[in-house]
Amino acid sequence: MTTDQPRTTVTDIPVVVMEHLTKQYGSFTALNDLTLTLNAGQILGLIGPNGAGKTTAIKILVGLIRPTSGTAKIDGVDCVSDSARIKRLVGYMPDTFGSYDNMRVREYLDFFGATFGIAPRARAKRIEEVMETTGTAYMKDRFVESLSHGMQQRVGLARTLLHDPKVLILDEPVNGLDPQARIEMRDLLIQLAKRGKTLLVTSHILPELTRICDRVAIMTHGKLRAFGTVEEIGRQVSQQRTIESHLVSADQVSIAANIIRQAIEPGADVVEAPAEAIVRFRTARPESELGEVLAQLIQGGIRVTQFREVQTDLEEAFMSFTRPPQATVATPASVGGPIHA
Amino acid sequence: MLKAMVKRELTSLMRRKRMMALQCGLVAIFAVLIAIRWPTDARMALTGSRSQQVFQLFGYGLLATLLLILPVFPATSIVREKKQGTLALLLNTPLGPWRIFFGKLTAVLALSGVILAMSLPAASACYAMGGLSLYGDLAKVYQILFIAALQYAVLGLLVSTFSNSIDSAVRLTYGLVLGLSVMTLGPHYFFQGTKGYLADLGNTLYALSPFGAMMSLTGVADAGSKGLIKKAEILGQFTVTSLIVSAIASLWAISRLNHTIFDQARSQGTISDDQTSSVRFFRRLFFLVDPQRRSSNISSFANPITVKEFRCRRFGRLHWLLRLVAICAVLSLGLTYATTAGTFDWGVETIGGIMVVMQVALLVLITPSLAAGLMSSERESRGWQLLQTTPMSITRIVWGKLLSVILPLMLILCATLPGYVVMVYIEPGMKLQVERVIVCLAAMAIFAMLLSAAVGSLFKRTAAATAAAYGALLSICALPLLIWLGRDAPFGHKTVEAALSVNPIAAALSVIRMPGFQDYSLIPANWWFLGIGSIASLMILLAQTYRISRPQ
Repeated sequence: MTTDQPRTTVTDIPVVVMEHLTKQYGSFTALNDLTLTLNAGQILGLIGPNGAGKTTAIKILVGLIRPTSGTAKIDGVDCVSDSARIKRLVGYMPDTFGSYDNMRVREYLDFFGATFGIAPRARAKRIEEVMETTGTAYMKDRFVESLSHGMQQRVGLARTLLHDPKVLILDEPVNGLDPQARIEMRDLLIQLAKRGKTLLVTSHILPELTRICDRVAIMTHGKLRAFGTVEEIGRQVSQQRTIESHLVSADQVSIAANIIRQAIEPGADVVEAPAEAIVRFRTARPESELGEVLAQLIQGGIRVTQFREVQTDLEEAFMSFTRPPQATVATPASVGGPIHA
Repeated sequence: MLKAMVKRELTSLMRRKRMMALQCGLVAIFAVLIAIRWPTDARMALTGSRSQQVFQLFGYGLLATLLLILPVFPATSIVREKKQGTLALLLNTPLGPWRIFFGKLTAVLALSGVILAMSLPAASACYAMGGLSLYGDLAKVYQILFIAALQYAVLGLLVSTFSNSIDSAVRLTYGLVLGLSVMTLGPHYFFQGTKGYLADLGNTLYALSPFGAMMSLTGVADAGSKGLIKKAEILGQFTVTSLIVSAIASLWAISRLNHTIFDQARSQGTISDDQTSSVRFFRRLFFLVDPQRRSSNISSFANPITVKEFRCRRFGRLHWLLRLVAICAVLSLGLTYATTAGTFDWGVETIGGIMVVMQVALLVLITPSLAAGLMSSERESRGWQLLQTTPMSITRIVWGKLLSVILPLMLILCATLPGYVVMVYIEPGMKLQVERVIVCLAAMAIFAMLLSAAVGSLFKRTAAATAAAYGALLSICALPLLIWLGRDAPFGHKTVEAALSVNPIAAALSVIRMPGFQDYSLIPANWWFLGIGSIASLMILLAQTYRISRPQ
């Protein structure tokens, strides 16, 4: 999570629990043995290419699809056998808006509030609250079909909040939004998480998830490929980490590169950048052995100003996991650790 | 360039599997029609009466088929492209509006040519049976069919340039076709044989209908067996008026095919409550129920689905319905008063017939447009998956939706009640008849609603659902009337009675003893049919709703 202020509402209480979820359509496996847990107050980003199984997983959680095997629970309630209770626990925003012609924003919200059985007076108050939260109050008299995509996404989010659900499941909430609207939506999601909501968000726009999510899950071909914080996933991808050594003088770049080549595994990738006075190399050596490399540089008379790991960004991780199956090195087992947030 | 346009249009039309099924079905129907009347006797009648009997049915059948099938294609042609964004691409090419329009028109006419070509073997068989002239009869029937196809294709395209949604284009086009082909026959029937401007108006309107032209050509008696107009006159008038209407509508449609079709500002959501008191007063006066007023919260006692359906439909909102009902009430009272005062020498049965026809026309026109899209519009707008995530049960959703159709239909049924009350006051002996007519109309309304909803629920797209619902309802209402047209020959009394017993319009007209229908006893057979049909339709609707709401 890279927001300015860390949230204090994150707890260790598991709210969304998926265990060995599998969904098959004939011989095609849309979802393959997905196991994930999301704690209260967390934001989980589910990413993957088209057809990865993200929407299938989400639809199982909201009771629109039955899994072939496995279980899914929200706040202890089974998503398959007790879908009536699930509907009150979850606010679901699909990737399409679900517009009705000739209906004003307030009427739209009033209708969905009424379907949840909220009494008229309480509903009116609640509508004001969610419009205030989502910044849609100024468009209450506009027709929903005449709204821009960004406005519709906001109204969609207001709709999911009407019955004050514990968990928000948002399918591509920032898809198709302009940069300004994306920033606003991102801030809105962070605000909701601060209010104690648990969020499960899918997105293709990776930097957005980098900024707002506590945990990220990468899926391809129906399988979970990686799970953890953005930093953890970066490390899982990059079994060979990228290290940069910043030097005082560009004259020492070649000498430093030779020392590093001798210190790390033979044939490793070492790049000299004299213009920047930097030597960059990739290695699979653990942290303790990297300290030894630094010591050898200093002993060799190299004046080092910085010796640091370059962060692998989520985009690189995503690309790494979404390569064709033969090129994928990591598996849920190999990425290590129990898959729990 | 025009060729490329026509090719693209035709390819997308003809690639559909339904189109192949349609063509096979048409060939089969025409083949059966000829087969059942093919001479089986070794002796041959030189008069060719048998051939002429088949020919009469064949002409009407072909015209009805064309009017049921064809309008949906031009109606959706432009608005679909507008919604998909391909119209903007087309307008951005050097094609220009003329080529775009004529490309689309040629494709629709080619499609109607295919439908007509399916009938050629049957037409040849009619000709081979003897008694028909190639140029005097067959060619003229095809002339009427072609001109009707041209006129309705152009009107459909024109409607399509104005519409903002596919289903509203379909609804409006079918309404126009029904109005121009069937409703125009009404005034002629009631005023024929009289003199004055009303009779002239009746004749002018009659000449707009392809059915009128077909009646005069095939020599079949008018509805009610009072035909007095010469056939050559009607055919010529129909041709000229149709070509004029087609030319005007074509120019109008072409003038709409430019950037202005997209140049529409998004609605800013004006609310009457925020306007001055004088504006509010006038809007209240004009609309009775102002559609721009700020609506209140849905009551705890109301079904939210019913309220939602009322709020999100354009046609069918209260301000439209109240006007419609007011017009019907005034018309029915006016007609009854005119008869009582001796202005028209029509008799109470005829007045009753007019009111029945008026109500039936409204029911046939309005019910599919309200009921067909109940489920398909939810699926198309993706609102269905949102409803699935609410705690509302399937039965409550279906009931809420049906209720949103029942209420407008009740208003329509009540519209002519004042007229019936006056009628019973004038002729107390008609009380039982009027009661039965009201039962017939109520049964028809329920049947039409459930049939349209059930047929519509089978489709994912509202346009297809609306077209299919109109097709199903019009088939039940119109096809038995084709058999009724051949009531003297080739069909006997029993055959016609059996065919009419499924027709709710004929049942109501027979109860009111409308000339032409008074000899048939259609009650209670028709009520049984409507009852069983309604229950079956409800079952289909519930089963289909349950199917789509189940987790996959």
